[in-house]
Amino acid sequence: MAAKRVAICAVAQHKNDSDLWYKRFQGMLLDVLEDLQAQTGFDFDSETGVRSIVSCSDDFFDARTISNNGVTDVLGAQYRGEEKMAQEGLNAIGYAMAQILAGHEDLVLVMGHCKESQPESRELISNLGFDPFYGRALGLDCLNAAALQARAYMAKSGLTEDHLAEIVVRARQCAARNPYANCREIIEAGKVKGSPMLCDPIRQLHAYPVSDGAVGMLLASEERAKEFTDKPVWLTGFANCMDSFFFGDRDLTSNFALKGAAERAYKKAGIKDPKKTVNLVEVMDAYAYQQPMWMEGLGFCKDGQGAQFIDDAGLGKYKVNLSGGMLAGDPVIISGLYRAANAALQLRGEAGDMQVPDVKCAVAQSTNGPAGQFHSVLILEA
Amino acid sequence: MAEFYGTTVADIFNTMPKRFKPEEAKDEDIAIGYECKGEGKWKVTIKHGTIKVEEVKGDLKGCATTIHAADAETFIGTTLGKIQAMDALTTGKLRVVGDVKLLMTLLPKIFVQYTAPEKKSSVVAKDIISTITERFRPDKAAGVDMKVGYDLAGEGGGKWTIVIKDGKCAVKEGLAKDLTVKMTMPAEIYVGMMLGTISGESAFTSGQVKLDGDMMAAGATSRFFNKFVDPNAKASEAEELITIKVTNSINCRFATGTAYGMWFKGLKEKKFLANVCPKCGRTQITPREICAFCRVRCNEFVELGPRGTITAADVVYFASPDPLTGAVRETPYAMCWILLDNASPQEAFCFDIKREDLPKMKVGARVRPVWAKETKGTFTDLLYFELDK
Repeated sequence: MAAKRVAICAVAQHKNDSDLWYKRFQGMLLDVLEDLQAQTGFDFDSETGVRSIVSCSDDFFDARTISNNGVTDVLGAQYRGEEKMAQEGLNAIGYAMAQILAGHEDLVLVMGHCKESQPESRELISNLGFDPFYGRALGLDCLNAAALQARAYMAKSGLTEDHLAEIVVRARQCAARNPYANCREIIEAGKVKGSPMLCDPIRQLHAYPVSDGAVGMLLASEERAKEFTDKPVWLTGFANCMDSFFFGDRDLTSNFALKGAAERAYKKAGIKDPKKTVNLVEVMDAYAYQQPMWMEGLGFCKDGQGAQFIDDAGLGKYKVNLSGGMLAGDPVIISGLYRAANAALQLRGEAGDMQVPDVKCAVAQSTNGPAGQFHSVLILEA
Repeated sequence: MAEFYGTTVADIFNTMPKRFKPEEAKDEDIAIGYECKGEGKWKVTIKHGTIKVEEVKGDLKGCATTIHAADAETFIGTTLGKIQAMDALTTGKLRVVGDVKLLMTLLPKIFVQYTAPEKKSSVVAKDIISTITERFRPDKAAGVDMKVGYDLAGEGGGKWTIVIKDGKCAVKEGLAKDLTVKMTMPAEIYVGMMLGTISGESAFTSGQVKLDGDMMAAGATSRFFNKFVDPNAKASEAEELITIKVTNSINCRFATGTAYGMWFKGLKEKKFLANVCPKCGRTQITPREICAFCRVRCNEFVELGPRGTITAADVVYFASPDPLTGAVRETPYAMCWILLDNASPQEAFCFDIKREDLPKMKVGARVRPVWAKETKGTFTDLLYFELDK
């Protein structure tokens, strides 16, 4: 018997915005749900429809415990199965895949949301991810953890402030063609270099903007995918890998967790050399330095050669973040879903102004935890 | 009653039912007699997982085995393991008539080992009050002018007025007439709060502390004094196991969206606006974007009530702080399910009921809303429901 396969049948994105003050996150999810149903015509019939929903959200951003319980109506989850992925959103796809590959479900809806504008400060929220005795008290958060990593990586790879500016300028040029990106204004390198220093070496424009967003996808077994689409996107490999919570224990430039996740995902998809097989990459670049660093971890760039990779136009060569990436603005916890959605659109030939020809195999990557503690990698194929 | 190792003989018998392990004694059927010279006699009857402990005045009758201790120290010491039972038996201070093995086999099996309670502090409220002036911190009380009354009932209690004025502090017996705030509580609660064994918060929420006057002033008083240190307590030792109290707080700004926005607009006009499912006709109160059952948007609004019928209710005695203000809510209060007129069945609305109506509140009773004088489109516009007579 041939191995089971899982397809993305449709993706829907809510336009990212820095302050959706007029809409509840429930309203954002409902827009996404209606978009998906309009595309595919699926319903929630207990025999033939969606019986299982995997959601993704963050309790602290939603400011309520078990954040999924408050949104089940707009997930269509009434009297259906529903579970939340508390880890980064790409893992919601991994979990939905597991349900289908196990033969437990043949149709799973994946829905994620996050409203970063709701709390006063997203740094205060990431601060709460640290232990209460030391890390929190010290004031560690994802920004200053990333800055430590950025400084270490720049020293190792030769990456300069000019490189960082180049990365941001390119990201905005890409985002200008993505109707769902938050910040679509094209900017000059000077503006990046002149933006306020948040946490040395990370400047304001090196960091992703505060963003509100929601993403949904319909996943189906191979047998059922054709009912909903004639352009299925096959999910051929998925893996994640966890590094030490105590980031003092980590070599911040080692990319250990990402390499572990990538190696296993490639193996699953039968990819021997991603440089030869993969046509498009979406990485979760919350900060500019992460684009070359994650590309190293994914095997597209030699260890410690990030600066050379940028100078050699590696980002263009491997079609990295044509969506504008997270740098153009989408929220944490579901950035991986945005990455996968954009990769899927390219594979379906539906990426509009962003579309590039001959995309057969794409990689979507995401990370969670300070300074890339945890990484996930998904392989998508046309 | 004599005390050894922080324990009396009565303590041991009084805690027996609590320490008893019924599942270990389900096959036992035995009566054990105890005699402790100078303390008394007890009979412990264990039968199929039950235990009865009784003090006996006359002879110990009907006991298969009796245990006799020469004095309280022997009995307590052997129970706590401070004195070896074997030594006590050989010296004759402990004597068993009947089955000696009981001591070593059955009793450890069916009872949790007795441990002496922690030594209670002998500090009383009066002692703490007497240290107030020396604990006063003039630097923290600059410009403060207040009189705080303490009415502390029970042993060691009394009535005092703390006068804080012009950077000085004085304690006077009795309660002044012009108190800024009066705190009434059992003296032992006051002692517990001062020693830190009872949190002020839980003392208030449990209703143990009553405040008359300026609540803010009551909350502020602790700032003006150094912490009371129990002179009886042992010098504090470095501890490995500690807890850290932290309040995690992040300000949030919640969007209502259009559905909930209509609800608040309705409150401002003293109306209950529900939205209606276009498919099943269900009224949703409070309104939401979608009918969860039919999975369709609900854009049409109808007014419900204002009167309604109680469909379920409970009475809250253990009040947590009011989530909106952090202030302590007075108990008891009710949470009522109210089916407003014109609402579809089972789409009830949960709200408070007027305190005075609590005794008469019952399922099926008719209620009407009571609104704030000025409504602003906020949660506090609706004060409560009252019985509609």
